Amino acid sequence: MQNESSECGEMEESLNHQNGSQMGGPQNNANNKQGEKNNPKPQYSIPGILHFIQHEWARFELERSQWEVDKAELQARIAFLQGERKGQENLKNDLVRRIKMLEYALKQERAKFHKLKYGVDLQQGDIKPPVLDDPALNVDSQLDSEAPYTSVSNASWRQGRQLLRQYLQEIGYTDRIIDVRSTRVRALLGLNNNAEQEENLNGGSVNCNESNKRASDTQDTNTGRRTPAKKPQPSVLAESMMLDTEAAVMANLDFLSNPDVDMEDEDDMSDEVDLETQDEIDDDVKSVKRKDDVDAEAMEVLNELNLLSESEDQRQDINKSESGDWNKPFQPTGQPGRRTTMGMNDDENIDAPLGLGLGELAQLTVNNEAESTYDMASSKESFRKAWNAKYTLRSHFDGVRSLAFHPTEPVLITASEDHTLKLWNLQKTVPAKKSASLDVEPLYTFRSHQGPVLCLAMSASGEQCFSGGLDGYIHCWNTPSCNIDPYDLFEPEVLEKKLEGHTDAVWGLAMHHNQTRELLLSCSADGTVRLWQPKTDVRMHDAETGKMLYSNECLNWYQSKADGIPSSVDFCRDDPTKMVAAFSSANCVIFDIETNKPVVVLEGESSAAPRLINRVVCHPTIPLTVTAHEDRHIRFWDNNTGKMVHSMVAHLDAVTSLAVDPNGLYLLSGSHDCSIRLWHMDNKTCVQEITAHRKKFDESILDVAFHPSRPYIASAGADGLAKVFV
Amino acid sequence: MSKMKMADGSTILRRNRPGTKVKDFCRWPDEAFEEMDSTLAVQQYIQQLIRKDPANIDLILKMPDAQDEGVWKYEHLRQFCMELNGLAVRLQGECQPETCNQMTATEQWIFLCAAHKTPKECPAIDYTRHTLDGAACLLNSNKYFPSRVSIKESSVAKLGSVCRRVYRIFSHAYYHHRTIFDEFENETYLCRRFTHFVTKYNLMSKDNLIVPILEDENVPGESEA
Ligand SMILES: [Zn+2]
Ligand SMILES: [Zn+2]
Repeated sequence: MQNESSECGEMEESLNHQNGSQMGGPQNNANNKQGEKNNPKPQYSIPGILHFIQHEWARFELERSQWEVDKAELQARIAFLQGERKGQENLKNDLVRRIKMLEYALKQERAKFHKLKYGVDLQQGDIKPPVLDDPALNVDSQLDSEAPYTSVSNASWRQGRQLLRQYLQEIGYTDRIIDVRSTRVRALLGLNNNAEQEENLNGGSVNCNESNKRASDTQDTNTGRRTPAKKPQPSVLAESMMLDTEAAVMANLDFLSNPDVDMEDEDDMSDEVDLETQDEIDDDVKSVKRKDDVDAEAMEVLNELNLLSESEDQRQDINKSESGDWNKPFQPTGQPGRRTTMGMNDDENIDAPLGLGLGELAQLTVNNEAESTYDMASSKESFRKAWNAKYTLRSHFDGVRSLAFHPTEPVLITASEDHTLKLWNLQKTVPAKKSASLDVEPLYTFRSHQGPVLCLAMSASGEQCFSGGLDGYIHCWNTPSCNIDPYDLFEPEVLEKKLEGHTDAVWGLAMHHNQTRELLLSCSADGTVRLWQPKTDVRMHDAETGKMLYSNECLNWYQSKADGIPSSVDFCRDDPTKMVAAFSSANCVIFDIETNKPVVVLEGESSAAPRLINRVVCHPTIPLTVTAHEDRHIRFWDNNTGKMVHSMVAHLDAVTSLAVDPNGLYLLSGSHDCSIRLWHMDNKTCVQEITAHRKKFDESILDVAFHPSRPYIASAGADGLAKVFV
Repeated sequence: MSKMKMADGSTILRRNRPGTKVKDFCRWPDEAFEEMDSTLAVQQYIQQLIRKDPANIDLILKMPDAQDEGVWKYEHLRQFCMELNGLAVRLQGECQPETCNQMTATEQWIFLCAAHKTPKECPAIDYTRHTLDGAACLLNSNKYFPSRVSIKESSVAKLGSVCRRVYRIFSHAYYHHRTIFDEFENETYLCRRFTHFVTKYNLMSKDNLIVPILEDENVPGESEA
């Protein structure tokens, strides 16, 4: 208004000026005349005055109409701004409502998880569906073009929207401006304004829905979140093109979360929860069954939740033919899923002894997002695959300590605390009903260790494998055919021999194969690392001359008295004349294999105890060592300088296991926080997180592995299961 | 929740970290059953009792209050099958297909191996392996035992036949490889515990319990139910 008024002032000024000049004519003349003739009487002629007045009137009239126009314009502007404010308010309310719904769903999830885990209901005073102060919720679903939004809209909101649209038209805002605005709002929400992407988003949501259906089919206590709501909206896509600001936002929100699409479902759920408690009081058997159902689905639920986050990546799969800038929109859309996963971890975290706060958790999540955005933008080849649990390997009676893939076949071996190793062929599956994952039955059970088997390594040919046990022995096995009949006759030849030398538990094994020989490293709680040549000569083995020829396989041994007991060992893959061993001092020592002298020490700061190293692995091509620590860190070291090049908090609990993919691009880590994580090797960003195993005592995931030549990854857990992801 | 309390400093982490010596393996303070919040609490509890004193069979078999009996029996049977691996390993050295070409105990019965489509006269060592492998598959079957927190009645009913089959491993060892049996039994008390177990929960008829292990003591009564 100030502008306007000053403008008015200016106008007035110029008017006066005009007046002055116009009136000045006769006046000056008069003055002149006065001066000349000393005549004090001014001279006015009637026509002159009339003319002047008419002139003035016309001008004022013109001015007045101009002001009128201005006023109308300003009023329209005010109305527009008011309408916009109203729209924003409705939007805000809606978002708040959604947040409440998500919170509620999360609480439900937690309660369920808690119940599942502790067998009692969680005391959560405020666990009730958020009340909707929204009388018009069920108004419509008449088929106007906005039908898809009706579930999230309400009368007043639509009114505001209509109003706004009207104003926009009145004011003549161009579509372009609207577009710009909606882009801004989307940017605010972290979404992008692009119809194709919209399509992809919806593709993703459809995926989610399918999996949701599975879950609900199996009569899991459904939360609204996973309800296969009657949504995805092709019309949304169409409509989103003609977007106005809110429409665009809403469409995305609609995808983001459908928790409140069906309020009845929410109700159902709380009913069921009630039922459960009653059951437990009334009828034991029944409640048992119920619990059973819940438990049976527990992993599935977890998987579902993972799936939500993974759908992010699936979408990217769909999208990968798109142009390069598809990176951004997915980060936030995947976010709810990821958040949810983290939420589950949060529960884990509560009982994780380290007791991290939620704050740190949130930070982790945020980091992930930021990093993956960066990572997407930075590398073109970063098309990433979402790994999904496909095979569940159940047959061990106790925790699975280690696993190793066959170099070429879809075959793996697991080693367990139940004293056995088992051979699995992923192509021989047992179809499991009501679950996406396939069960695999083991083909062969290796029995020979007297006690838990702790570690495992496979030869480069896959023909042999080696296992280390708590009994201090390393057993050399001839891998049975991967098509063996599981109930074939016993062949004692499968166990080729035992390598004797260690005097305490063998905790780590590593194989290296070059043209001339196959070398095996082992580390033991007896404080030594030993180098073996288990197969001195292939021909000698074939000659059937007996086992005596191999009597002295131990080539060398290493120890570092100052550093204590080795916990893990690996060859320096870029220079296999060296090997690295992690010690209880938190130092890693690189030894020269031939001279058995320490070459480099990767010195962990001597500060505190909990830096214990659980696993050490070397990069396949460059002089880089990676260590997994009890203090939740993964650390990266330069083998030449011995300096730490990177350190990061990688998990919510101790990191137990590491694996590097054969090309050295990705790092896989497993942790007692029950999850495995996949990392980019170059920028150390987390690509994917999967909750994979349950806890036994305070242990969860004990080993992870990449298949050397096929797209499989695997995890081994203290819960006695191994899982393979594709 | 219990661990939240411990988070404030006196944290006990029950872990076998790499590098742990044999003597320290699983050597950690006992955890009360009520404190165990894992889905594997029953297994943890049973293993904890066994590790403490494998001879204290009554305590090991004493079911905690409010414990689901089906799960209790199931977890015990898993533990038996697991520990029987130890006996199988020892038998592998001595029980050859040439000497024991049939699964027998006393001369009364020849046991057919049920792991095959049509039951088969497997040599004793193969019977042992196949039976343990089959038990591992059944007890880990997602179909019958999808949960370790609760178990369907129909699945609990399957435990009896597993017991009957694996018991024959004890009886074969006892009657044909007595040295191995005694050595193993002195360390683990496994056959003794097994016999008490199946008797207590009425999983096998007494006629089938042919290893004379309970003669010198009172057989515990069958479960109160
Ligand atoms: Zn025999
Ligand atoms: Zn058989």
